[in-house]
Formats: sequence, structure tokens, C-alpha cells
Amino acid sequence: MTDKKPIISMRGIVKRFGGVVALNDVDLDAYAGEVLAIVGDNGAGKSTLIKILTGVYQPTEGAIKLDDQPLEMSSHADAIDVGIDAVYQTLALADHLDPAANMFLGSELTKKVLGITLLDNKKMRSETERVLMERLGVRLRSLDAQTDSLSGGQRQAVAIARAVYNTNLRVLVMDEPTAALGPQETARTLKLIKALKEQGLAVILISHSLDDVFEVADRVHVQRRGQNVGVVKTAESSTQEVLGMIVGAKEDAA
Amino acid sequence: MNMPAANIEKQPFAERIEPYMAIIAPMAMIVAIFLFMAVASPTRFFRPDNLTLILQDAALYMPMAMAMTYVITLRGIDLSVGSVAVLSSIIMAFLVKQYGFSIYVGIPIALTIGALLGLINGLIITRFNVPDLIGTLAMDLVYKGLALLLAKGLVLARFPEVLTELGRGQTPFLIPTPAVIGMLVMALGYFALKRTYFGRYTVAIGSSPESAELTGIGVNRHKVYAYVLCGACAALAGLMLTGKQNAIQATMAPFFNLHVIAAVVVGGTSLFGGRASMIGSFSGVLLLAMMLNALVTLRIEFFWQPVASGFVIISSVALYAWIQKKDRDGAMGFFAGLKSAEGRKTMQLVAIIIGLLIALLAIGGITAGEVTASG
Repeated sequence: MTDKKPIISMRGIVKRFGGVVALNDVDLDAYAGEVLAIVGDNGAGKSTLIKILTGVYQPTEGAIKLDDQPLEMSSHADAIDVGIDAVYQTLALADHLDPAANMFLGSELTKKVLGITLLDNKKMRSETERVLMERLGVRLRSLDAQTDSLSGGQRQAVAIARAVYNTNLRVLVMDEPTAALGPQETARTLKLIKALKEQGLAVILISHSLDDVFEVADRVHVQRRGQNVGVVKTAESSTQEVLGMIVGAKEDAA
Repeated sequence: MNMPAANIEKQPFAERIEPYMAIIAPMAMIVAIFLFMAVASPTRFFRPDNLTLILQDAALYMPMAMAMTYVITLRGIDLSVGSVAVLSSIIMAFLVKQYGFSIYVGIPIALTIGALLGLINGLIITRFNVPDLIGTLAMDLVYKGLALLLAKGLVLARFPEVLTELGRGQTPFLIPTPAVIGMLVMALGYFALKRTYFGRYTVAIGSSPESAELTGIGVNRHKVYAYVLCGACAALAGLMLTGKQNAIQATMAPFFNLHVIAAVVVGGTSLFGGRASMIGSFSGVLLLAMMLNALVTLRIEFFWQPVASGFVIISSVALYAWIQKKDRDGAMGFFAGLKSAEGRKTMQLVAIIIGLLIALLAIGGITAGEVTASG
């Protein structure tokens, strides 16, 4: 991995909220075709870090580079424009709409009829079917049913499909994708993440579950009290070691 | 109303028809009224001019029901439609009758004023963070007061033919002009719900405001749109009412608000947002109009009308609540809850209140003296 250039590279990121230092001098690199997990205790700065990466927050200090080019983002929309998107823990789905409507929520496909812009439901439907099948290998039983009738994993797939429909997408941040899922659904979601990785996306995964992390991630970025206390390769590490880094066992022993 | 029984026996069937319940339920009630009237008073109810009358009554509520469907789907509610209708029509009436405005200018002015009043509602709710219920309730008072201030007790009457055509005109095909307008507006509303950004985002916002916000939808902007639409449609209803009576005064349309909300809710649009049914609202409007007409046709005292409306609303909303409850296995029938500790305490309260009332009535009856004429 190290011989490749990172897609995204964050250097010396500091974020202060008033007097509180949420992030202190954090570096982060993400590579194409790799899953990077960010782990850490509550309040370790994971969410703040990804919010900076996805343009929701702006760093107090530090720089972000995308393909070696300096990147300035003033909103989440800017991040989407350069190919960075996030799937939130809540998935941001509207349960009463069908999956196709949800997948295109906020960026609907339209067509002009007599000069009036109308939603192109048929196209959105076929595109949803295509993206779910081609990119995620998911087939929904019915595209007409409301989204709340889908299983947790299928809902996850719809939310991911929304992000990957943007062909420009290069970095996908996933916030606790497996937190609310049962074992079977978790396995399916992890499979989705692997599929995205194969397709050359840089996936950044935030998770509390070290089992899931070691299952899909290539590297683990450990946050503790706003600082990056290390990045380890999952192939060369163990859950015990990462756990130790999360709670700071090593430091205390020293 | 006999749908629930069928649901219990055949679960898969119930699941299949569930998405269509919003349409089926009011339709079933409409058919029930039809059947009932076919037995009770066929000659009077099914006269062509009576059916026309039903449509004419229903037409008045169609535009408002269309707009209210959007507002309620957005988790809002508009309690000011009645006074918006009256105020915009009164302003129009003054301009036409006192200042010699052309009716062709007056009608667009009324609609624009309606939209403006709706805009004020929307801005109060979104900018000042006043809850929809309180905001529109308060503005209802304001608009009603302004209408009274403007018109005093006056009745403005006799308008150009265009307006009466709007309110009680008749097309060659039995269907009154207002019904044509009403159905056209509802059809547009139905179409917009499925095929426009506004319709899609209305459902999305009502379904989950947080998700809508996260996907970059302007939640407050679309809320304001819905209230503007509601105001303009209320003004249209006001014009239709003015045309129908060929007169307008400030105290007209007292039942507009609840009647419209009732029609929408009976039609299956959820008060909790996200679930819109334009066809349901249409059937709801028809259902209420037919029910009121049936009461008149059967020569039942007029004051039973609100009682009947209330019954229809409660029974339909209870039905929807029951339909949406997925787990019906644990319920063990309607009265099972009474056996629990909670149920027993509730029953005690019921017994105390009824007992108290009976006791007081008995005391009053025993100690009753001579009856004096009141007043």
C-alpha cells in the first residue's frame, strides 16, 4: 500500500470547538481499493474527523489533499462534488418513499414535458435496479414497497447505492453501518463493503465492532482523546492490540 | 366498514390490500351510504339534482382538501383555511363592489391574497419556530378579526356572473362547474404529488425531516410552499363559496377548517406525516358531503350533523391506526386489555365518573323544586 499515492491525505488536522480541542494534530491517509477503519472510544474524535473529511466541518488548522491537490471544502455539497460522500448511521432514508425515490432523494432524475420539469420515476426505478444489482449485487423483492418494509441490510444497500450512483465517487465514508444490524445482516453489509473496495473505492469505515473491522478493513486508524495513537495493518495486528490502543493500556503501563 | 373482519381471517390478503386501504376504506363507506340510501330513501337521494347538489357541496372542499393533504403530509396542519377563504373573498368583494375593480382582476387578486396569507403562516411557522397548530390557530383569529373589521356586519352581495358560475354554474353534463374545478385541482394535486420535486419532498420531509435535511432538501422552504398552496386554495374555495351564495360576509365558513381536515384524515393521509393519499382525500370530501346530504334527505334534525361527522372521523382514524398496527397476535381481542391491571384501573375511573354522574342526577331529581320558565 505504501508505494501507492493516497487519494486523500489529511495532515495536522486540528479542530477546536470553543475551548474544547476535539482533534489535535491528526494525520489520515486513505488509498483507493482499501478499507480504512477508524476506531476509538466515544469522544475520541472519530465523528469530528469524518465530518471534516466530508466537508460538514472545517478544520481549525491543518490541510487536506485530494490527489496531491490542496482541497478546500465549505460544505458537504463541495465534498460530493469532488467525489467524497458519506452514508450516515441513520441512513437518511425517508421510510414512506419507495427505494428508487430514496436512492435519488435530493438529486432526482427529471425530464422536461412541455417545458415543465417533472420527475422521471421510470428512469429512477430502472437505474435503482441497475445500480443495486451491478454495484452491490442486491436484488430487492419489490421496488414498489415502501422503504420501511425492507430489511436492515437492504436499507443499507439503498443508502449506499445513493452514494455510489455518483460515478465520480472515490471516497465513501460509512458511519457505524453495522451498529443496528443482526449477525446475518451484518455479514451482508460487510460483503457490500468488500464489493465497493474491489471496485476501487477508498472506503472509510467507522465502527465500534472490532470483529467487523478485522473482517473487512486493511488498516485501522485508532483515535484516542482527539489524537491519532497509531495506524496498524489488520494483517499484522490483533483485536487485543487495537483494543489496548483504544483504551490506552500501553501508555498507562509505560 | 366491514373490512377489518376480512383482515383477521385472511392475513396474506390483508397484507396485499393494505397499501390500498386508504382508498378502499372511504370508498367502502361511500358504497355503504349509497346502499343505505338505496334502501332508506331511494327516490329522494338518487334524484339527479340531489346528486348534483352533493357534488356542488363537495366541490367547495376539494381545493382545500388537496392543499391540506400536502400540509398534513408535511406533519403540519392549517387551522386558518376558513378565515383565509373569507378574508380574501371579502377583500375581493370590496374591490369589486366599492372600487369598481373588474372581476377578472378581482379573482386573481383574491387568489394572490390567499397565497400571501398562506405565506405569512408558513413564515411564522418556519422563521419564528411556532408550532403549526398554534401558529395557524392564532393567525386564524387574526384573519377572522381582520375580516370582521373590514366588513363589519355587512353582507356584500350580487356579483358578476363569472363568480356565480364559479360557485354554482352547471356544465351540460350534470356536473356543476365548481365540481369540475375542484376535481381538476385535485387531479393536479395528485399528479404533482407523484411527479414533481414539491410532491416528492413533501412526502420525504413528512416521513423524516432529519433525513430530508441530510439529503440537502430545503425543509423549511418546502413547508412554506405547502402553506402558500393551502392559502391560495383556501382563497379559491372562498371565491367558490361567494359565487355559490352570491354573497359574502365575515361570519361565513365557520366549519371549513375541521371539515377539510376531517376529509383529509378520513381519506387516509396520516397526521404523523409521510403518508399522503390524494384519492383518499377526494373520497373523504365526497364521503362527508354525501353523509351530510343523507342526513338532510332523511329529514334528520340538522344538529345531528356534527355528531355524525365526529363519528365518521373517529371510526376511520381508529381503523387506520388498527391497520397500521403490525402485531395483532398479542392483542387477544378488543376487550382483553380490560383484564390487565392498567385496564382495571381505567375501568375503575370509568365507573367512578359514571357513578358520580348518576348520583348527582338522582340527588337533583329528588330535591327538584318547581320549574320556572327560563328567561
